[in-house]
Amino acid sequence: MSTGQVDKAFAELREIFGDRATTSSVHTMAYSRDWSPRYREMNDLPDIVVIPNDTQEMARITKVAYRYEIPLVPFAGGTGMGGGAVAWKGGIMVETKGLNRVLEIDEQNMTVTVQSGITIEVLNAELARHKLWLPHQPESKRACTIGASIGCDNDSTFGVRYGKILDCLLNAVIVTGRAEAIRVGQRKASFSSTGYKLLDLLVASEGTLGTITEATLRVVLLPEAREVRGYLCRCLNDTARGLERLLGSGLAIESAHANCRNRLHFYTHSYRERYGREPQLPEWADAILFLSFAGDRDIVAFNVDKATRIMVDEFNAERVGEQELVEGWWDSKHRLEFVPFKQKWPDSQRQKKFGAADLGLPIGRLEKGYLRYLQIAKKWDQEILGMTIYNESPNKATASISFAVFVDDSSQDKVNQFYQYVREMSEMAIELEGTMSTYIGDGDRLGGFNQFEHGPGLKYMRRIKRIFDPKNIMNPGKKFRSRWIEYDQGAHT
Amino acid sequence: MERKRLEDYAEDIYTCNRTRCGFCREQCPVYHVKVYETYSCRGKMLVGRGLIEKTLSPFEEMAQILDHCLLCGLCQARCALHNLDIITSMRREMVRRGFSTPVHRENVQRILTEGHLLDIRTAPKRQGQIPLYVGCVYRSKPRELATALSVLERLDIHPLIGDETCCGYIVDATGFDKEFEEVQEQLKNTYQQFEAPEILTLCPTCTITLREKYGLPVKHAIVAVAEQLHKKQGIVKSLGFRATYHDPCHLGRMLGVFAEPREILRHLGIQLVEMENNRYFSTCCGGGGGVNAVDPELSLEIAKNRVRDAIRVDVEIITTVCPTCEPTLLRAAGRLAGELGTFVDVQSLWDLLDKALQ
Repeated sequence: MSTGQVDKAFAELREIFGDRATTSSVHTMAYSRDWSPRYREMNDLPDIVVIPNDTQEMARITKVAYRYEIPLVPFAGGTGMGGGAVAWKGGIMVETKGLNRVLEIDEQNMTVTVQSGITIEVLNAELARHKLWLPHQPESKRACTIGASIGCDNDSTFGVRYGKILDCLLNAVIVTGRAEAIRVGQRKASFSSTGYKLLDLLVASEGTLGTITEATLRVVLLPEAREVRGYLCRCLNDTARGLERLLGSGLAIESAHANCRNRLHFYTHSYRERYGREPQLPEWADAILFLSFAGDRDIVAFNVDKATRIMVDEFNAERVGEQELVEGWWDSKHRLEFVPFKQKWPDSQRQKKFGAADLGLPIGRLEKGYLRYLQIAKKWDQEILGMTIYNESPNKATASISFAVFVDDSSQDKVNQFYQYVREMSEMAIELEGTMSTYIGDGDRLGGFNQFEHGPGLKYMRRIKRIFDPKNIMNPGKKFRSRWIEYDQGAHT
Repeated sequence: MERKRLEDYAEDIYTCNRTRCGFCREQCPVYHVKVYETYSCRGKMLVGRGLIEKTLSPFEEMAQILDHCLLCGLCQARCALHNLDIITSMRREMVRRGFSTPVHRENVQRILTEGHLLDIRTAPKRQGQIPLYVGCVYRSKPRELATALSVLERLDIHPLIGDETCCGYIVDATGFDKEFEEVQEQLKNTYQQFEAPEILTLCPTCTITLREKYGLPVKHAIVAVAEQLHKKQGIVKSLGFRATYHDPCHLGRMLGVFAEPREILRHLGIQLVEMENNRYFSTCCGGGGGVNAVDPELSLEIAKNRVRDAIRVDVEIITTVCPTCEPTLLRAAGRLAGELGTFVDVQSLWDLLDKALQ
């Protein structure tokens, strides 16, 4: 990509978009980062920023990028942890927040059709006026958009009941790297067994196949009541076995998360700010299982009561008696309500940065995974932040695990050390018959290195990429290439 | 006094850069209209980083973007950093490097030479028991000032008004550091009430400026009104309609005055319907931070969004207690009425009190 090509592309974009296209450094600087760990001097500046308002405009941008063979990177919430939204090869940054309209709320068919740049929180505020909600709820929902949720396949608080974004997604429009806008999926039906599942392919594609501009999603009724409870468990394994037992009993669990003791500290910022004290946990408790129940009040009350009896009687657990602690945790996880001027995220990252390896493990290997995490973090000099197990698949215990550390981002060497931690954790995941990532994605960290996970499958993925994006303009430098972790053919076979 | 420079906030800026939570972004009234990340606080924090590390240098467009901040503090309420101080320090940096908006320069010059920002239409010096600092906006609005004074008198609050000059909020907010020091001197030389144990104010912006920049023991007069109504139960007649209350940024989010206006509405028999964004998370009317001076169209769009919040909760009246919010919202309500066919009236809490005390 030469300067001349960028200049020509910008001239065309400016002609079409006017002030909605810019090369000004004050704007490009604002798009120089996402939430992935990077060292101080590291600025990834796009050459151009442009704001489309609909699919047709997105297609016009892509045509320009295609013609001049310029990278095109979609930007949404900017809260991704994998470097997926940084334009480290320059090019055009597409600010997708211009695509922010609700196109249709179809109450009869329980669907909503939106442009992809709407945030999940704003969409749910709109749906609540119809007594509906979209249960795909990442912790970043205040900034995260529908397009980003599809593109990154991020986590969801309510996964144990409703799954992740793919479980809600009925169809989507993508503008491919060929500048063609296509709608993929099954219209408003929940399933289809015709053709190949191109809709599935979009999930976690991280903008490498095209830019998602619209989506139709299945929504559900807003529950009348919700209750949250915490259970102190003697080991991590009890949280998974306990959950499996609760689901097996026929109870309806809305959300389920297990925290190690360390991680609880991070999630009780709101509690500490409100009540001015540290959470007190008995020495014997190695893990805490948080559950939420939602629905009609009487059903919720029954579920809470029955779940408590099972956890206490069969797993020797203890209900967290101080409900303020549970509510404080829920503030962090779902409500995102913090004491004004004392919000958790910045307040907890003044010295070091939150970073994580987001492994998926078989549920019988939690204890082993946890012990290895402690060893690997120590080896790479990473400060332990703790572990959270997300359950992201409907009605079964699953283990999407955030093994978090505080990253020292003061120098390139220190950040490299974090990525070595991620590398070794990823290797451990494969060894334990799991996966390297469950909600962050490849981004610019695992791409290429993921050959260790996919083997010859990666070759087919490259071919799929070429079909959608023959000139490799769509978010290049992601998924198939890592800036941080080398794939060593000899060591990783 | 040497003010903090941008570099002094480096730790906060780096914390934002490494946090990236984006809680500040979606509800930022300016970002909501302009869409570029740069208009959000999170975006500005990266610009701040560029300035500190000298990968960016000040230029005209940067200064303009920094002037497009309402300084409403909503980002700060959603954060844990010194967002407003940082943005103001960036504005100071722009002015220091020779990039300032002409309209701000003119306003600053006017305050320095004439002692006030707006055309003064009333000079209400009067004897009384408790000092009242009127402020430029009310001194330019004789009717509104007369109403407020009449309400205070009827509640046995007898304001003493003397000479005063502008508090200088806009001078400070737009980055004119040295000039603000002059304005402060000007007020100190003019205003005779610096030793008073308590000073009432009418304008939320003057209130916060006098408190934070001059260390004066100020209290917004509406708080005194609420106290009197509490003592004198039953002296107001019920107005008996539904309305929503718009929290002015300085009075609410920054000074924490949330309960008193709502208490007054209850005394007046008004059924209060809260907008979705209220109290700490109320959104700005669009008139803050000097934005209405540099980009009136943007200010109008933001105000329209706030009026839409009221329409969404199905009320016909917005009440508030700020001389900037009232006209800004009313202008937007008029414009929206033309677009939607629905008119939401905007009434000052002082006007409602005036009616209810008759």
